[in-house]
Amino acid sequence: MTIRFIAVAACTMLAAANAVAQPNAKQQVLGSQYEAAAKAADQAFKAASAERGRAFFMGKHTGGKADSPSCTSCHTADLTKTGKTRAGKDIEPMAASVSPARYTDATQVEKWFKRNCADVLGRECTAGEKADILAFLLSL
Amino acid sequence: MLDRPTAISDHAPTGSKARVWDLGVRLFHWLLVASVAGAMLTGFFAPRPWLDLHLVFGSAVAALLLHRVVWGFAGSAYSRFSSFVVSPLFALKYAVALLRGRSVPHYAGHNPIGAMMIVTLLAVLTALTITGVVTLGGALKDGPLGFVTSFATGSTAKAIHVVLAYGLLALIGGHLAGIAAESIRTRENLIAAMVSGRKRVSGPGPRTATAHPFLAAVVVASASAGIGTIAVVASNRPALGVPTAALEGTYAKECGACHAPHHPSIAPAAAWQAILERLDDHFGDNAELDPATVAQLRTYLLAQSAEQFDSKAANIFRDVAAGETLPRVTETASWKRLHRAIASNVFQAKPVAGRVNCQACHADAATGGFKPRNISIPKEITK
Repeated sequence: MTIRFIAVAACTMLAAANAVAQPNAKQQVLGSQYEAAAKAADQAFKAASAERGRAFFMGKHTGGKADSPSCTSCHTADLTKTGKTRAGKDIEPMAASVSPARYTDATQVEKWFKRNCADVLGRECTAGEKADILAFLLSL
Repeated sequence: MLDRPTAISDHAPTGSKARVWDLGVRLFHWLLVASVAGAMLTGFFAPRPWLDLHLVFGSAVAALLLHRVVWGFAGSAYSRFSSFVVSPLFALKYAVALLRGRSVPHYAGHNPIGAMMIVTLLAVLTALTITGVVTLGGALKDGPLGFVTSFATGSTAKAIHVVLAYGLLALIGGHLAGIAAESIRTRENLIAAMVSGRKRVSGPGPRTATAHPFLAAVVVASASAGIGTIAVVASNRPALGVPTAALEGTYAKECGACHAPHHPSIAPAAAWQAILERLDDHFGDNAELDPATVAQLRTYLLAQSAEQFDSKAANIFRDVAAGETLPRVTETASWKRLHRAIASNVFQAKPVAGRVNCQACHADAATGGFKPRNISIPKEITK
């Protein structure tokens, strides 16, 4: 009896841990919009990739500001946790499942893409890069 | 030449001892010594957040002055103004006679020079109290006169307050020198006399007068209660030209996303204009916003800029010029002077996160208050 209970509990926990976070409806709509925009901008772009997005987000870049070579400079590598701006303000966790209000307002998302791509890359991000990053963040 | 007739020999005083300084005078004297010492130490040396302690000592001086003035009319013989206040001319004549070695009368109470000193000290202390309250009201926008006093008036009062404080220091020196000289000249320990109240009585004395301690207590108590009530009520009125409103929503959200948003009153309109025009290069960062939001922020910031207020922060940062580079409040001479005592590791510490983060130490930064008593450096740093 006890053994069965432990087994069931363990299976439940494993299932919970393995479950892929599901973005909410509004977030999904925005993700699709960015994917569509990427396809429209570049015919070679087939589909948004969370894997490419992860590599871009976690990777080091050049061309931007010296103290922000990566997205993780401020957001940290654990995107379920709070980040910090260089002026000391908390940044809401980036994972879509942790911050359900994120990725629901296109104006806000565009504002931050524009600012932060300039800070990290010294240029604007391409439509494809944005779609990949968003796909990655929506998968968390 | 002196119209007080009963002259006695300088070095051979005669006469019996009597209670010259009553309890009211002695308590006043030594409490005043303590209060003035406290006020001077906190005024000259204490850091800004200790201002409240200076105000406590200053208030004690004011209360003691009130007591002394009432006692000057209702106290026992030697404490009454009528018994020792003389004309400056008479005091001068007395001083000349003394210096020329002429025989002068012995005064059981204050001699004419001492009397002049007492009156001057009381006047200077009264002026210090008044200029202190005006400074508090105008320069720090606090206290009973905060609601009517402009920053300019407060600054003038502060300058006078400082001059008077140095003057008081000189007067105290003169007072001590006079006590020493007179103690030697008359061979009577005047400090001990101010403790015990007992002095040799001979020569001209005041007409006998009965003290009215009960009457004096009633007058002092009711005057204190009246002044205190008015002061509390007046202190609670909003200070003249000091912002009180919380930051506007869009401003707090957009600017507060990256850094603690500064209150608009700490920079002039021209500086805000320059900042809004250069959001793509905001002190090295990209902080671009859509034009509609920028327009909304402009309306708000220009309506709340330093020109619109009379707070200390608004006054000292109003002249920040917007030149080639964006004006950084922390690069101004005023800011540096005010923060010169703060070690740089305090600004680098985690809870502060840089000089831009005013509210880490100024609890009222968000409303633009910046009152000294609201300063508190996070404890984990000062350890």
